[in-house]
Amino acid sequence: MGTIELKHITKTFGPTVKAVDNLNLTIESGHFICLLGPSGCGKTTTLRMIAGLDMPDAGEIILDGKTLFSGEKGNLVPTEKRELGLVFQSYALWPHMTVAQNVSFGLEMRNVDKSKRKKIIGDVLDLLHINQLENRYPSQLSGGQQQRVALARMLAVSPDVLLLDEPLSNLDAKLRLEMRAELKRLHETLGNTIIYVTHDQLEAMTMSTKIAVMHEGLLQQCAPPMDIYRKPGNVTVAEFVGSPPMNLFSHTGGKQDAVVESIKKCYTEQKERIDIIGVRPEDIKVVPRGTEVGEDTWYYPAEVQTLLPTGSEWIISLLVEDVMVFASVADDPEYKPKTPAAIAVKKNTVHLFDSQRQRIDFSGSR
Amino acid sequence: MNQPSSKDRTPILRIERFQNWLRFIRYEPIALVAAIVTVLLTYLVLAPVGSMLVDTVRVQIRDSATTGLEVGSYTTYFLHRVFVSRVSDRLFWTPLARTLIIASVVTLAALPFGAFLAWLTVRTDLPGKKILSSAMVIPYMLPSWTFAVAWLNIMKNRRLGGLPSIAESFGFSPPDWLAYGAFPIIVCQALHLFPFAYLLFGNALRSVDSQMEDSARILGAQKGVIARRIILPLLKPALLSAFLLTFSRVLGSFGTPYILGSPVRYLLLPTALYSSFQVGTPGVSAVIASVTILLGMSLIALDMYFVREYRRFVTVGGKGSMSRLSALGKWKWPAIIFAGLAFIITTIIPLVTIILTSIMYRPGVFSLSNFTLDFWFGRYISIMPGQQGLFLNQSIIAAAWNSFRIAGAAAVICGITGLFVGYVVVKMPNSKTSAFLRQVSFLPYLVPSIGFAAACLSFFAVRRGPVPSLYGTLTLLIIVMSIKYLPFASRSGISAMMQMGNEPEEAARVAGASWGKRMSRIVIPIQKHALITAIMLPFISGMKEQSLVIMLATPGTEVMTTQILRFIEYGFSQLANATVLAIVVIIFFVTFLMERITGSNLASGFSRS
Ligand SMILES: Nc1ncnc2c1ncn2[C@@H]1O[C@H](COP(=O)(O)OP(=O)(O)O)[C@@H](O)[C@H]1O
Ligand SMILES: [Mg+2]
Repeated sequence: MGTIELKHITKTFGPTVKAVDNLNLTIESGHFICLLGPSGCGKTTTLRMIAGLDMPDAGEIILDGKTLFSGEKGNLVPTEKRELGLVFQSYALWPHMTVAQNVSFGLEMRNVDKSKRKKIIGDVLDLLHINQLENRYPSQLSGGQQQRVALARMLAVSPDVLLLDEPLSNLDAKLRLEMRAELKRLHETLGNTIIYVTHDQLEAMTMSTKIAVMHEGLLQQCAPPMDIYRKPGNVTVAEFVGSPPMNLFSHTGGKQDAVVESIKKCYTEQKERIDIIGVRPEDIKVVPRGTEVGEDTWYYPAEVQTLLPTGSEWIISLLVEDVMVFASVADDPEYKPKTPAAIAVKKNTVHLFDSQRQRIDFSGSR
Repeated sequence: MNQPSSKDRTPILRIERFQNWLRFIRYEPIALVAAIVTVLLTYLVLAPVGSMLVDTVRVQIRDSATTGLEVGSYTTYFLHRVFVSRVSDRLFWTPLARTLIIASVVTLAALPFGAFLAWLTVRTDLPGKKILSSAMVIPYMLPSWTFAVAWLNIMKNRRLGGLPSIAESFGFSPPDWLAYGAFPIIVCQALHLFPFAYLLFGNALRSVDSQMEDSARILGAQKGVIARRIILPLLKPALLSAFLLTFSRVLGSFGTPYILGSPVRYLLLPTALYSSFQVGTPGVSAVIASVTILLGMSLIALDMYFVREYRRFVTVGGKGSMSRLSALGKWKWPAIIFAGLAFIITTIIPLVTIILTSIMYRPGVFSLSNFTLDFWFGRYISIMPGQQGLFLNQSIIAAAWNSFRIAGAAAVICGITGLFVGYVVVKMPNSKTSAFLRQVSFLPYLVPSIGFAAACLSFFAVRRGPVPSLYGTLTLLIIVMSIKYLPFASRSGISAMMQMGNEPEEAARVAGASWGKRMSRIVIPIQKHALITAIMLPFISGMKEQSLVIMLATPGTEVMTTQILRFIEYGFSQLANATVLAIVVIIFFVTFLMERITGSNLASGFSRS
């Protein structure tokens, strides 16, 4: 239970803002799917449409074979009857109710009798380790605790589908890591479908079984996290996922063109289609000028600009012709800023895109 | 692949869509709520003003007899009469000129004092300024005409007859210019508006971050330069706004010019409007009321412009906002005396004269035998045959009961409507409905009370469709008062709803709660305090309202404030003063109750309302 199909969903605000544009997405039961994209790309709108709080202009929303909304017939099932769970970014706890009352509300709406309610509340609060907070009011809770209460409130009614809108964005870094693990654990225990909205790629990578990358209202790619990372379907996805972001070279008519041509030379197959070239920072090796490289490696001279230690690794910024390039290396680098060097990249780690910004995949050798 | 666009949908599908929508309106009746509120507000706010504008050029029944024109026909007769005829000076131009002059003088007198006191309490080390800033709310809460009543107690002369005034008891007979007319009107209005200017200005001053001054100082600016180049420009919009608002208050106030002007037939615009209304020339009244409304509206429109200007200055990151205090040094004592005097003159003196007058047979005669509680509890009052003390006096009790019912009902209507306006505005952001509701519910704020009363009178006095003539009914008073106070209620409703946002209600929807459940268990409990405030503030205003009710109150619908005017006219000043005091006590009590329930503080929560 908990399979959601979105078909041709479109939503515009006002005359111009296309928040979601012809979205087709199927979320299978039991998956933990992340809607990932920059702020303003339509993630919240998508979630709200699934919950029934916003109406799409057109398209269909289907839950377990039952049509919830259809552009032709209008709304068929109101929010109140969809029996989903939704955790708001702001938590939206009811300030005039205690934690227990907050959690109890949904059960009351479903006419669960009192003794059973009490048991469920106890269980849910236990599950989230907040049973000692039962009688507190939201204003007496820390951000992390409010977060747990907001989750508990929705989990109490055990919805088949749980919608989460950037639930961790208001927490500090340490707490966020803790809650990530917690959410993943909950998903593994409860096994319901989770749709999780975030703009934080690390969050999406670590938690989800599938990531749907959105950009300006359009779905870019929907695939398991490692596929998204290793085989970004287009330049937009490639740019968005990964930190520091993928280095890109394209034809601009400037000095950069020489770099693009140099890479193109490495390929024979589909050479004309190659238009944009991407290299992940961790795939770049910084080597001394004039280093001999093998057949499988692309070499290009560069100049070291600055060194940025992050603790676990070093990020080296280099100038390749007039492009700023980031490389990340684990070992302490032996280069000083403003010294000449070169970059070496294994050819099979290079990402190639065509003029439509789509990924070019090679069947065989390259 | 392509979705059919809405145009090629078959009619059957469209009907089905509509049916679905109908089925779901009970889950999300926001559209219904919005429609009801919109229709109601349009009818109650726009229709009266529009109807009055039409009345300036159309002949009504009462006018047809005097003018010989046919009822319902259009004419420029009234415009001509008010603006150019031989009587136009008396009817309109003289009151207008006086009003403008008096309003300017009052404003120029009240503002500098208010500003200076604000500076003392916000930016200096004046001792006891916490107490002072709470104390200065008290005169602000007093009805505007309190000073006029107190002035008569002290300064009235033989022209009005009746009992002697305090001055007369001390052997001084005030000349007419000191007792009535322009001079006392200016003094009383200035004393009433001075705390208003103080509060307005204090808030503006508090919002100026002293880090801005510090930055200038670090860059080498002297104190004078800082004041001239940094502080004054920042405060200029607030200053202008304070000027316009005090000005428009003078323009719209009826009680003071009525009480102090009538004895010498000194008319200002509001009293001229009332007098033309009493003479019974609706057309002329409509013209004068329209001018009043236009003047009031342009003042407030100007103010809104300056406020918007001011917003531009409001910088982000005012978190560390703090005020550096200037040391008063040797000026400490003069400052304390100034502040103390301000409080004594605006609060203590008027209240004390009112209390004293209500317990003395002859004002100003301090012998024990002259004191009495007859005016409060007496069944027979020797010097006022036929009248009883306040607690036994049928006309006061009836008026008090009316005041309570009218202000109470209006306040409840206001509070609830305000909350619904807020609900619609927040739930339908960026929609035309929301913008319309915001503006329409704010409109009564622009219209001076007495002009608005005139408009409502002309609109509701006759039967219109299913709505019967409401002249002389409590209903009319309740409606007019609800509309007039709606801006405050809806503004607080909007801000309360904004603060809550949509999400608590949406969370309840997701949890499966119907609209009724959401309102009763989520929205209203969260907004409890806001609702209480939105009811109690209009109630307080309603209890002391005079400008709005003077035209609408009839013998059966007399309220406390109009009863006070009657008592003054009959020369029953002790009863008038006792009634004033009763109103003041009610206001203080309700305010106290409100602060207790909601835990808010009127002094700190003072906004421009
Ligand atoms: N109620 C609304 N009215 C108008 N525009 C909206 C509304 N909600 C969202 N938008 C617009 O739709 C776009 C997508 O918004 P949203 O779904 O909230 O983005 P995200 O959650 O990905 O940050 C944005 O451009 C936003 O400004
Ligand atoms: Mg969002």
